[in-house]
Amino acid sequence: MTAEAPPAATRPARPRRSPWGIAALLVFAAITWWAASEEFGIGFDVIQLVTNLTRGSQIMGEFFPPNWDYLPRTYGPMLETFKMAVIASALGCGVALFISFLASRVTTPNPPTYLVSRSVLNVIRALPDLLYALIFVAAVGVGPLPGILALFFFNVGVVVKLLSETIDGVDTGPIEAARATGANRTQTVRWAVVPQVLPNYVAYSLYVFELNIRASAVIGIVGAGGIGNNINTERKFFNYDNLVVILIEIFVFVVIIELISIWLRRRLV
Amino acid sequence: MTAATRSAPARPTRPSTRNRWLATLATLALVVWAMATTGIDFERILRLPEGIGLLFYRMFLETGPEWSFLPNAIEGMLQSIQIAWIGTIIGAVISLPLGLLGARNVSGIFGSNVMRQILNAIRAVPEVILAVVVFIPMVGIGGAASAYAGTLAIGVHSIGTLGKLTAEVVEGIDPGPVEAARAAGGNTLQVQRWGVIPQVMPEIIAFWLYRFEINIRASAILGVVGAGGIGTSLEQAMTFSRFPRAGLIIIVIIVATILVDTASGWLRRRIIEGSTARIEAGDTEGLGSPLRMDSDAG
Amino acid sequence: MIRFDNASVVYPGGVTALKNLSLEIPDGELMVIVGLSGAGKSTLIRAINGLVPLTDGDIFIDDVSVRSASPRAMRELRSRIGMIFQTFNLVKRTTVLNNVLMGRLHNAGTMRSLLGMYRAEDVEIGMQALERVGIVEKAYTRAANLSGGQQQRVGIARALAQQPKILLADEPVASLDPPTSHVVMRDLQRINRDLGITTIVNLHFLDLAKVYGERIIGLRAGELVYDGTGAQADENVFRDIYGRSLTADDLMGEAASAAALPS
Repeated sequence: MTAEAPPAATRPARPRRSPWGIAALLVFAAITWWAASEEFGIGFDVIQLVTNLTRGSQIMGEFFPPNWDYLPRTYGPMLETFKMAVIASALGCGVALFISFLASRVTTPNPPTYLVSRSVLNVIRALPDLLYALIFVAAVGVGPLPGILALFFFNVGVVVKLLSETIDGVDTGPIEAARATGANRTQTVRWAVVPQVLPNYVAYSLYVFELNIRASAVIGIVGAGGIGNNINTERKFFNYDNLVVILIEIFVFVVIIELISIWLRRRLV
Repeated sequence: MTAATRSAPARPTRPSTRNRWLATLATLALVVWAMATTGIDFERILRLPEGIGLLFYRMFLETGPEWSFLPNAIEGMLQSIQIAWIGTIIGAVISLPLGLLGARNVSGIFGSNVMRQILNAIRAVPEVILAVVVFIPMVGIGGAASAYAGTLAIGVHSIGTLGKLTAEVVEGIDPGPVEAARAAGGNTLQVQRWGVIPQVMPEIIAFWLYRFEINIRASAILGVVGAGGIGTSLEQAMTFSRFPRAGLIIIVIIVATILVDTASGWLRRRIIEGSTARIEAGDTEGLGSPLRMDSDAG
Repeated sequence: MIRFDNASVVYPGGVTALKNLSLEIPDGELMVIVGLSGAGKSTLIRAINGLVPLTDGDIFIDDVSVRSASPRAMRELRSRIGMIFQTFNLVKRTTVLNNVLMGRLHNAGTMRSLLGMYRAEDVEIGMQALERVGIVEKAYTRAANLSGGQQQRVGIARALAQQPKILLADEPVASLDPPTSHVVMRDLQRINRDLGITTIVNLHFLDLAKVYGERIIGLRAGELVYDGTGAQADENVFRDIYGRSLTADDLMGEAASAAALPS
């Protein structure tokens, strides 16, 4: 008796390409065309880009050599930039810690508080730092104060969003345990939630500080103190050799801060 | 001889927290020093609420926002969105190969480090500075050219951040499929295409979308320095004290940004969800999750 | 004494977890609850300290109603009830002692507990609790660095630090290996006998239940279907409770009977 071969399985039909994928691609292409076209968009033309860049590099020649004599005049403003970043980060991260608990599903006291916090958060986050700077300069005058205020709001927006989402993901076991011992809300948050998110909080704070260093260098352009003021002055006079000095200075400064921050983060973990 | 009794283990001593205290004190000292030496007098701080309140009133309440400016504002906002869109695409396209090269498991330790430093260098300069110092002089001011400058500034800066994130994702992949591709005889390009890219694309695309959200804000700012988009209108409105118009522009910016954020956030979640299997924790008695902190029983 | 009076729990989705449960648990008793997953064991335990609200009926702890307790009264009630969990529910990132001191939070007051400045008496109580479960030398170790059995003992210490009258244990050994499970169950037995704390334990393994339970109650689909001693509970009883034949998964095996304290 010969063994029978197993019955041939019918081959499945090839699954059709998902319509969603194709639709998404089409939408993407359409938006890109719209954004780049001459008529509706910004008129992005790769060929023109290349010609511009070659012409531009001639202008770049004016940047060099950098005018290093200008450097000492930038020390004061850079220091102010640094201090603005420190103050705004400290205040912003401090306040953000408390607001984050209101804006997280896990630790909010009641649904209305949660909804209000998240809506306010979304509005605060929608404005970039420079726009806050513009507004505060108009409200309180020029100087570092509007800069600090602007960065403060920016920081609260960034940290609350990050931290509240971290809190959303905590292990809820310890929270249940704390409730079961008869602890109240504050105690529960302090001992069951905070220990879980503290490392993240510190990381976010350092991250925001790095962002602030970059931002505070810039907001002076609208009058909010720091080296941005110098940028504004020099660009109006087309002093590119001075501007390049500032550019390099900012670059070096940011890199140094970043290295320190990486070292700090490694020490904390 | 009696049986030896076990003595109770000694209680341990409390470990020293001196280092932590020092660090906290140092940070506090830094902050206090910064506050004290920044030269802001108290008087100005006290007048803060007044100044902000007055501005808010003039922008939104005195005559209401300048609604007649809405078409211009929308046009400006659309241009900002376009700038951000193209800028993000530039950043995404160029950062993909650069990011791959920046990963240790692609270029080795030395090569990837070089690339990472280059990417860090690009990242370190804020877009505004790039625009002001490099691209606007290069491309010139006025109309289409300024939008160009903004797009390039955003594009170049995005290469830096996206490149770094891409490299980190690529370093975190499962080496299995890559080995399989190599073992099947694929050359380097094929290994990348079939072994690496499928694993990392969802996360990378999510980063692109996130970057787009950030770039919307950046392009709104760039207008302030003359690089196109709605920022220009806002800067002019503020300079000429046309506060109702500024109020309207701010509203347009907030609404547009929130819309883009929501759409992009939804898309990001769909992409990530589609690529990872979600294992819901067993919840046999339906006790529900997450545990709420609100009203206790009774 | 804990008294269930027609207690019922219906979850928002429509699932009935407890149905008209009436039961009395005298002080100092060690009671074991058995039943299939989803039969209502967890719900019953959590109804006692109000973590799960009743939808009908009531529970009285020393004649104090659980269902009508204000939030403040509920916290007061809970401070006298210790609870240990299947997944231990420790804060992994902090020290063992800090975890145990969670049991003193209610007494310590908000200000002190916020700053972590516990009174010396509270720290002493915490240390003594750790000594009772035999891991005081780990007081300043990070909770994450302990084994499963050690973590559960920290959980027990945390409950003991409350100086509770009642101890609730929701599947305390389900995540532990057999030898460690016996250590933990023996600890619970000893605490029950030495300190006279009413102890209520959910158990998954039936042989373990038989050995450690002076009194066993069985739940099926939220209803009480058995109430008797460990000696009376045999295979038939368990089959009734489960509504099906026993499988290997229901027994821990491994000389369960040899490990318990003599009754």
